[in-house]
Amino acid sequence: MAAHDVMPDIELFQPVTVEDASAIARRLEGRGWVLAGGQDTYGWLKDRAKTATAMIDLGTIEALSGIEETADGVRIGAMTTLRTVSRDPLIRERYALLAEAAGKVASPQIRNQGTLGGNVAQDTRCWYYRRGLSCYRAGGNICYADSPEGMNREHAILGASRCVAVSPSDTGTALVALDAVMVIQNGGSVRRVPAAKFFVGPAVNITHMTVLREGDILTAIELPAAWAGAEHYFEKVADRDVWDFALVSIAAAFRTSGNAIEDARLVCGAVSCVPHRLNAVERAVIGRPRSEETAESVAGLASQGAKPLNFNHFKAPLMENLVKRALRS
Amino acid sequence: MELVEVRQDVWGREVLLGVSWDLLWVVLSLTAAAIIIHLLVMAFLSKSDRPSPDGPHLTRHAGVDRGFHWIMAISVFVLLFTGVLPIVGVDFDWLTIHWVAGLILTGAVVFHTVRALIWQKPKEMWVGARDFQEPFDQAIKPGKYSLLQKGMHHAMTVLVLLVIGTGLALFWVMDTPWWERSNALDEATLGWMFLLHGASTLGLIVLTALHVYFALRPEKRFYTRSMISGWISEDEHRANHDPGRWSPDQSS
Amino acid sequence: MSYLHIGKNFTPPDIYGKVTGRAKYAEDYAVDGMVHARLLTSPMPHARVKNIDASEAMAMEGVVGILTAEDVYPTEAPAPALLTNEPVFVGDPILAVAAVDEKTAENALAKIRLDLEPLPFTVDPVDSLRPNGPSARPEGNVFSEREMKAVSWSADDVERFVTGREPTAPAAMEWSYGDLEAGFDNAEVILEESFVTTGYAHMSMEPRSVLSYWQNGKCHVHGSTQSQSFIVPFLARMLNIEQADLVFVAEYCGGGFGSKIGAYPVLAIPGYFSRKIGRPVMLRITREEEYYVGSARVGFQGWIKAGFTREGRVSAVDLYIVQDLGPNSTGGDASSAGGAVSILYQPDAMRLRDVPVLTNTTPRGAQRGPGQNQIAAVFEPLLDKAAGELGIDPVEIRRLNAPDSNTTINADQGPITSAYMEQALVKGAELFNWSERIRRSGQRNGSKVTGIGVGQGYHSAGAHGFDGLVRLTPDGRIHLHSGVGNLGTYSYAATTRAAAEVLKCNWESCIIHRGSSDAHLPWSSYQAGSNTTFTHTRANYVAASDLLQKMKRIAAGELGGEPEQYDVADERVFDTANAARSLTYAEVAAKAIELGGEFSGETYPEDIHEVTQRAVQAMAGSGLIGVAKDTLPVRGTVPGLTVGFAEIELDLETGKHEIVDFLAVADCGTVVHPLGLAGQLRGGAVWGFGMASLERHVYDPQNGLPANVGYYQTKPPSYLDVPSSMEWAALDIADPDNPVGARGVGEPAMGSATAAVMCALSNALGGHLFNRTPVTPDVVLNHLSGQGQSAAPLAINTF
Repeated sequence: MAAHDVMPDIELFQPVTVEDASAIARRLEGRGWVLAGGQDTYGWLKDRAKTATAMIDLGTIEALSGIEETADGVRIGAMTTLRTVSRDPLIRERYALLAEAAGKVASPQIRNQGTLGGNVAQDTRCWYYRRGLSCYRAGGNICYADSPEGMNREHAILGASRCVAVSPSDTGTALVALDAVMVIQNGGSVRRVPAAKFFVGPAVNITHMTVLREGDILTAIELPAAWAGAEHYFEKVADRDVWDFALVSIAAAFRTSGNAIEDARLVCGAVSCVPHRLNAVERAVIGRPRSEETAESVAGLASQGAKPLNFNHFKAPLMENLVKRALRS
Repeated sequence: MELVEVRQDVWGREVLLGVSWDLLWVVLSLTAAAIIIHLLVMAFLSKSDRPSPDGPHLTRHAGVDRGFHWIMAISVFVLLFTGVLPIVGVDFDWLTIHWVAGLILTGAVVFHTVRALIWQKPKEMWVGARDFQEPFDQAIKPGKYSLLQKGMHHAMTVLVLLVIGTGLALFWVMDTPWWERSNALDEATLGWMFLLHGASTLGLIVLTALHVYFALRPEKRFYTRSMISGWISEDEHRANHDPGRWSPDQSS
Repeated sequence: MSYLHIGKNFTPPDIYGKVTGRAKYAEDYAVDGMVHARLLTSPMPHARVKNIDASEAMAMEGVVGILTAEDVYPTEAPAPALLTNEPVFVGDPILAVAAVDEKTAENALAKIRLDLEPLPFTVDPVDSLRPNGPSARPEGNVFSEREMKAVSWSADDVERFVTGREPTAPAAMEWSYGDLEAGFDNAEVILEESFVTTGYAHMSMEPRSVLSYWQNGKCHVHGSTQSQSFIVPFLARMLNIEQADLVFVAEYCGGGFGSKIGAYPVLAIPGYFSRKIGRPVMLRITREEEYYVGSARVGFQGWIKAGFTREGRVSAVDLYIVQDLGPNSTGGDASSAGGAVSILYQPDAMRLRDVPVLTNTTPRGAQRGPGQNQIAAVFEPLLDKAAGELGIDPVEIRRLNAPDSNTTINADQGPITSAYMEQALVKGAELFNWSERIRRSGQRNGSKVTGIGVGQGYHSAGAHGFDGLVRLTPDGRIHLHSGVGNLGTYSYAATTRAAAEVLKCNWESCIIHRGSSDAHLPWSSYQAGSNTTFTHTRANYVAASDLLQKMKRIAAGELGGEPEQYDVADERVFDTANAARSLTYAEVAAKAIELGGEFSGETYPEDIHEVTQRAVQAMAGSGLIGVAKDTLPVRGTVPGLTVGFAEIELDLETGKHEIVDFLAVADCGTVVHPLGLAGQLRGGAVWGFGMASLERHVYDPQNGLPANVGYYQTKPPSYLDVPSSMEWAALDIADPDNPVGARGVGEPAMGSATAAVMCALSNALGGHLFNRTPVTPDVVLNHLSGQGQSAAPLAINTF
């Protein structure tokens, strides 16, 4: 066993247009690696747990960075750094949920370098998978985490299918809650995918965590005006208060009329392979106030259908507690 | 191109992963080629005098057997599509459909086996020396099943049993509503199971394609009809079977 | 007593390099012709190497050589091997490959085919003790009395142990004192608990990279070690060379924490490799590898029964510990834990039983407060529970049992030098406003509840018998030769201040020599066990005293009169009867060279270590030499004692807690270097917080793989997990057995912080005892939701 940490020889492409980036990715097929902030990428490549012969650096495409107001909300370039997202006045004012989520990612150093696009497209942190083992997610035919003695404290309690890894993205939950739209370009064609459909569970595709495929470049994230200025709640519970992945996180948005909740989004992170929307809770809170009473009466719905593994039973009560916290005004 | 795929096990040793799915395209191409050649040859030979479907109906397949056949056919199709489509890049939630179909197929096969062995005449499927003379001598006609049909049945039997056996083994080590996954199969054994499951799948693809092709061929279509409605005509019986070896009853 | 240097802050000379980045750590050196080596390690937790096929790798362009177990110093099980053909943990080095650059070396590793035969393995001592359980080594599963033994418990023994009943299985080692039965008979309250403490990685920030090369028959080694002179004889033996043929350089050490005390195996690998291929070899250890070869704390699975009298005195303690030793020989933790209990709580009677079991996990080694700090995390909350049942305040029950200078320790109930724990408790309680704060315990603020805790820490903190070496040169400079390693505590410099104190010289006139065996350094202790401050203030004192005596003799010889009538001040030796009769230090040094003999180091005392002898020989004739072995009396164990006070807010909905406030109080004799002490108390506290609730050590029991091979997986505390400011205080009461009154303190600073947080957690939860470290949020949530813990009872190396 070799404990690699030297960057292997690799070609670097620095295209200036999305079309070029996409074309290079398609030409390289599986050998190319689309590089955003590198905070996920370099670990994989230096560890040689994944291999690529070329990196396609999106950092040289100016059009991918920046935050702008649009007719129907706000558009954030996928290469905008997490630090920028967390501090941008427009985002803080209208989509504080996303600003907070972005501000809770990893550490200041990583937020300076990491991007919003990279944060939603990053791979899971299952430690078996990260070791470079040939598990389901790596194209093999076994899951080491979900086995009789698997060490799976950080793994999924919902939506697992053979693979029990969870989405590590802090911003993903917020984007799903805000009904964000992911703008994906492949060559000259552009498609818009709702955030909720951007993330893919193992039942549907066990080797990809998102809908991004060869030649796809996530160019922007659009936040619709519908949720601008809504009441929100974000919380990330991790072992450490900085530089850690969530044990469970929650992103919630509420539109209220008078005292009553008119519409709600509650999304949990780190409980499933995708940001997990709490549909039952969302339905149950409509027409009720944000209050302790509402919180107590619906929290139990949060972990409905949970199937804990050996070491992650705690995630169910934690989900319920976070729902309560989100629902208290 | 490799025939099998290998990976590293948890301790970095080479271990079998399963069949190489490059073979899927090989198998599909060869099957398509075989069908095209057969189509051309048959077009060249072009015999058009077909026995008449009119006249009294003779029972070829009882309702229960036809039911079995179609249940099996549907489950095999479902299994093939749910198994193969994700491999070729069509993403959908396939696993539950796959194992449910697998269980249905297993149940159907068990039912068929018991019924065939106890209440039917398994000898009708027996391949004897005489069967091999069929292709060379127009005068020799088969009993209930032709050599080709028997061959198809037996090949299907082997592949289906293999795919069911390995499928059940894999089912045993996954999470189901009835049990949690186990480590009962080590990685090497798991690799063998996937190899056999995949290889028999490839075989099933070939056989199924050929079976469908023949079922659709004009001169064989009456057999397909008999699998739907149960009967063949006296004329069809006379033309294709040796009444001494198989004399079906008139159907009601 | 008023001192010129002792108790004053100063700027240690190495700090400039650290702040500016100019400091050269082992990995920063490069020499002509240097090649880069990398390790190929075991992917299996236990295996036998059947074949190594390196032909493809060796044929690669740029690959220079390969080093295997056959090429290096052989060790005998269970001593750790340099390279091995029978790896006993995932990451155990099997071979090394050298190439012209690191990338080539890494690429070459991928081309080597290892044929390994897997062997039985275990990651939990209790599993190994089960009937027919796997043994970590073919030689057995228990290492005690320097022997490997095969120990198997009955199913009933195992069942009793894991269900928390008194263990019945025979122990491998046992000691006791007093009448245990009588002790329990006298008890008003008897508590019985089982416990588990995880043994987690040392996580030195600087991985143990090493550079070696041979020049003119000498082996030069640039390494990262806590100690300096102490390394030399052991590394020379490992390299199979004479001590004089070893040049060992370790100017900076980016953290060792117990894992770099002595000559660890990796330190010798490049020496062998360089000799084999005739080129300088840099062996860089990666972060991941540091988790394999960098060692970890010993884990405890145990049972404790403690009796308390109506007054709150500890009357009896019965302690049973199964130690997780990893695959190699170590394991003093259990008896150290016993020692800590014997001094901190002064039980009338006590028994310690211990079963040191080998597992196929990270090799273990001493880690800050090895044994003492694990048991602090267990015993201190237990003490609170007893206090609660007896209606005694937590600080009060500690005062009742606090060690003083008449206290005895260990099985032999030997004496100690001095202790003032009661004063430390009183001082701390006052500074922390304890009586006020304890009233807030259990107070709710939304989902948060306040917990208040006090914890104590102990470690034996002083050795003796090492050498000091001081030199005065004709330029008037005072050369302080420090064989103490630069492990980050600045004790290499702080302890030399004792010599400057004796010589009453300006600090600016002093030059510290350190960091290389070529720098003429005296034989020194290991920089571990919090001993350096006590040990080397003594050694520096005796060397400086020798120098002082010689100065007086030279002055008397030159200026007349008896040496006794001379004294020193302002870097002059003067006649106390006539201050005008004086010599400058520079003049004395010049005279010493003229005089030769013992003055200039031509001769030296016979009792000094050969390392010191070589240093003196090399410097003979260059000035006035003061050299001596520390033979000052010492009446017993030297205790380092601390008390920690913590206030936490535990969030009942997330299972997380915030440490709102922390105070450390040290009973460490005279304070030598206030900033250094503050660093130790605060740093120790941060580490203690990590042990209490964050740092983990997880192995997959199915295949022996470690789940933590990176900082983000092991989770040492981050800057947001500790209070933004932490207060500290010291009693500053001199220890009579140290010439400047100093005792060590580094290790207990951690244990008392761990204990304070563990007690605060228990306090916040109405006295609930988790009896395990770390108490992570999931553990708290599982407790609060009543759904039971995920891990099996007493399971170790688990979440």
